[in-house]
Amino acid sequence: MTDRPEDRADREGISCEEAVERVYEFLDGELDDGWMDRVREHVEICRRCTPHFNFERVFLDHIRGKGLRPEKSELLRKRIRAALDSE
Amino acid sequence: MTEARDRSTQFETEALVHLDLLYGLALRLTGGDGARAEDLVQDTMLRAWRAWDGFQIGTNARAWLATILRNTFINEFRRRQRRPDPVAFDEIAERSVFAEIAEEDPEGGFFDRLVDDEVVAAIDELPEDFRVAVVLSDLEGLSYEEVSDAMGIPVGTVKSRLHRARRRLQRRLYSYAKEMGYVR
Repeated sequence: MTDRPEDRADREGISCEEAVERVYEFLDGELDDGWMDRVREHVEICRRCTPHFNFERVFLDHIRGKGLRPEKSELLRKRIRAALDSE
Repeated sequence: MTEARDRSTQFETEALVHLDLLYGLALRLTGGDGARAEDLVQDTMLRAWRAWDGFQIGTNARAWLATILRNTFINEFRRRQRRPDPVAFDEIAERSVFAEIAEEDPEGGFFDRLVDDEVVAAIDELPEDFRVAVVLSDLEGLSYEEVSDAMGIPVGTVKSRLHRARRRLQRRLYSYAKEMGYVR
């Protein structure tokens, strides 16, 4: 019988390396259920990975919170009104 | 009020109010290229105006406009993508900053001290393929599947682009923080 990595992982748990390489997929909620559980179980009990995953979460929150902001351009507003008027 | 006037007033209060937000999104997609971003927003507004009768008042106009803007940008982006545009990444940019900062600032407190100008500049500096993936995923909140459909690339490529782009962004922000003396 073949021993698939996920079967082994379910018996023995996954390594820090296996967890960290999936950090963004985990935080994005984009792993399948099996890997979601394996990574969560590892991070909950790993003293090294818990702070690392928190750090990555803080980082993503900052990008998402600060990356998109409204930008003003009065010239653009005028240009668009003129374009719409000529429609 | 005439019907045309009605339509115009409606467009003003439902669509044009989102102009600044759309321009912000256009600037991030184009990497801070003001002229390209302005053209993109103007095209978006004209398309929205022509399709206005199909828009259901009371639904999310901001999301509707952002979809038009994204599609307009992506069509142009995909036309240009026929030219191969290899992206070089150095090894160092692939590693998380965490290992270097784990002792001094494990909770990433330095991120709090960065202002949005620094975050925006770091996003704008990314190579286009990576920047578009980050903007669609992190700023617009699309799923990997949706980014894959929008950009016409496999989901696996979305994952690896996002991963590398975020690592690069993180390293850029860490450099800013060091320059500013927020971390050693």
